Amino acid sequence: MGLRVVLLGLALMAPALPAAAQGDAAARGAALAAERNCGACHGERGISAMPGIPSLAGQQAEFIALQLVLFREGLRDVPAMQAPADGLTDQQVEDLGAYVATLPHAPPPDRAPRDASALEAGAALAGQLRCGVCHLPALTGQNQVPHIAGQREDYLAETLIAYRDSKRHGSDTQMNGVVQGLSDAQIAQIAHYVAQR
Amino acid sequence: MTSHSAWRMALAGALSLSLGSAALAQQAAAPPAWAQGRPAEQATSSLAPHAPRLTATPADRIPLDSIRLPEGFRAELWASGMPGARMMARGEDGTVYVGTRTIGRVYAVKDEGSARSTRILAQRLDNPNGVAVRDGALYVIAVNRVLRFDNIAQNPSAEPVELTQAFALPTEGHHGWKFAAFGPDGKLYMNIGVPCNVCTFDENRHALIVRYNPDGSGREVMGHGIRNSVGFDWRPGTNVLYASNNARDWAGNELPEDTLHRLSRPGEHHGFPYCSGNAWQDPGHTGRQCSEFPAPVAMLGPHTAPLGMRFYTGTMFPEAYRGRAFVARHGSWNRDAKSGFDVVAVTLNEDGTQGRVEPFLSGLLDTAENSFKGRPTDVLVMPDGALLVSDEQNGAIYRITYGR
Ligand code: HEC
Ligand code: HEC
Repeated sequence: MGLRVVLLGLALMAPALPAAAQGDAAARGAALAAERNCGACHGERGISAMPGIPSLAGQQAEFIALQLVLFREGLRDVPAMQAPADGLTDQQVEDLGAYVATLPHAPPPDRAPRDASALEAGAALAGQLRCGVCHLPALTGQNQVPHIAGQREDYLAETLIAYRDSKRHGSDTQMNGVVQGLSDAQIAQIAHYVAQR
Repeated sequence: MTSHSAWRMALAGALSLSLGSAALAQQAAAPPAWAQGRPAEQATSSLAPHAPRLTATPADRIPLDSIRLPEGFRAELWASGMPGARMMARGEDGTVYVGTRTIGRVYAVKDEGSARSTRILAQRLDNPNGVAVRDGALYVIAVNRVLRFDNIAQNPSAEPVELTQAFALPTEGHHGWKFAAFGPDGKLYMNIGVPCNVCTFDENRHALIVRYNPDGSGREVMGHGIRNSVGFDWRPGTNVLYASNNARDWAGNELPEDTLHRLSRPGEHHGFPYCSGNAWQDPGHTGRQCSEFPAPVAMLGPHTAPLGMRFYTGTMFPEAYRGRAFVARHGSWNRDAKSGFDVVAVTLNEDGTQGRVEPFLSGLLDTAENSFKGRPTDVLVMPDGALLVSDEQNGAIYRITYGR
């Protein structure tokens, strides 16, 4: 599923890269990630064990590239990401995207146990707000739309609140519109549901 | 409004979308912006906005070879390596300034004969789409920020003058990016889009084309009811303003048409949200009728997203092209079978009230695959009569020339 989506995304975006070139990009990205020590915060294999820091493993390559550009340009203003993104070239940004996309996705080691009532409420909200239209029904994302299933619950809640309060903007205002008017409690339910997927 | 009641309204909106209930629709004041106005028939649609590309496309992967033009025309890659390149304005020394949206930059492209050098002139701006040049100064218009770079040719790294307070533009991000140009009257014209897909809004504040004195004073509304124009120009020899317009989403694949408008009487209302496209009455906004508004000059196709638009004032192209309007159709995400992703030419009749639309630049849309390779965004006529076309998706500018 993930692979098909990635390929489809590339076909939409730009002339698709041959598989070998993709492999080179991922290898360059791996070397750069080691050099810049991304794993210190995001986890050695891209699965974050730190509250407030998202997992990157298995994320959409285009989403990663886009966010790294936003960090580099100071448009997504996060102090912790300033140094890691500083001076990255466009090629390096794409290489890092290609690399983290190859890491196997998994939920964080400290994922909380399921809370049946929060899960049910969160699922209902996600259904009504149609998260699956853009993030796809399995919430694995496509192109610039991130893989959110199994992401850290604390990060999901924080970032959804940032969208709601207009403290985070992406390439458009879609996400701000999606969570407009939600209460903190509702966001917590959605975050729980998405983290458990 | 408390967050609780806001949520109830959003929830009602979401429910009414899936249930199509008239009673709930009554309360649906704030469905999520991306799904606003979506009818029951399209409730399960998987259409979602296209991904932008914010990294440079290497020159050898720019789809120049895919571009198709009428006989005798030729496309070359004029400049590249400018992610998100959109609206263009030419400085008096020949430098071309290029605005962007997401990446927040303004580029300057300097023509050095056989090659062009590009640099980032400004960055960290919120959708600095609007660029315009007057009396040696470059004006950059972001969502609610206006900057003036004086004597830009002599002083390429000068700090800008803040004109933000003087212009006092609305702050809404949705359709908040501007197209800007100086008119023959020396005033600075820009669009102010509607902060939603379709909604009830202050008709003196949004869906407008406005003009200002260059210092931000003297705001006048030149046209009401224009949902979002991201391109306009004055017909040569007449000084009448023509503007492209993006009609609403989620009214089906074929409705309503995007349009080209003629603003012959300042301050006239052009229909939105009541009437759009080819006399299409919006079922959600029946307070006024299509007969009350001037008809658009040309239909540009449903969901083609016409943006940059300029009249051809050069002499390089064949006689028949003089005075035609070139319109860059960016292509929208809100149609199952993609359309646009091209440049069309509009020939006006004598009195300028009707236009005939013909293809000009095509080949970037693959209809069999329903995919695109590029997104033409603006057009600019150069002094030698060549036409520049910006391609936001590839961060590139093509130069179109004619010669047997
Ligand atoms: C000092 C800790 C730290 C280091 C080192 C670090 N990051 Fe981050 N990163 C963060 C934090 C914190 C966030 C979450 C920002 C927020 O709250 O919005 C983040 C977010 C991101 C995101 C956005 C992900 C998303 O889901 O939105 C990407 C992509 C990313 N980092 C990539 C990298 C890469 C690549 C490197 C190495 C070049 C790196 N990071 C190094 C702390 C770090
Ligand atoms: C109209 C399309 C759309 C819909 C519907 C949508 N999203 Fe998103 N979402 C996006 C896009 C695009 C982004 C990337 C935005 C950016 O660049 O910041 C995103 C980003 C996110 C992120 C940030 C992830 C990260 O790693 O930083 C989260 C969390 C998220 N969405 C959750 C949701 C949830 C939960 C729903 C349903 C309640 C939802 N989205 C509905 C388009 C959508």
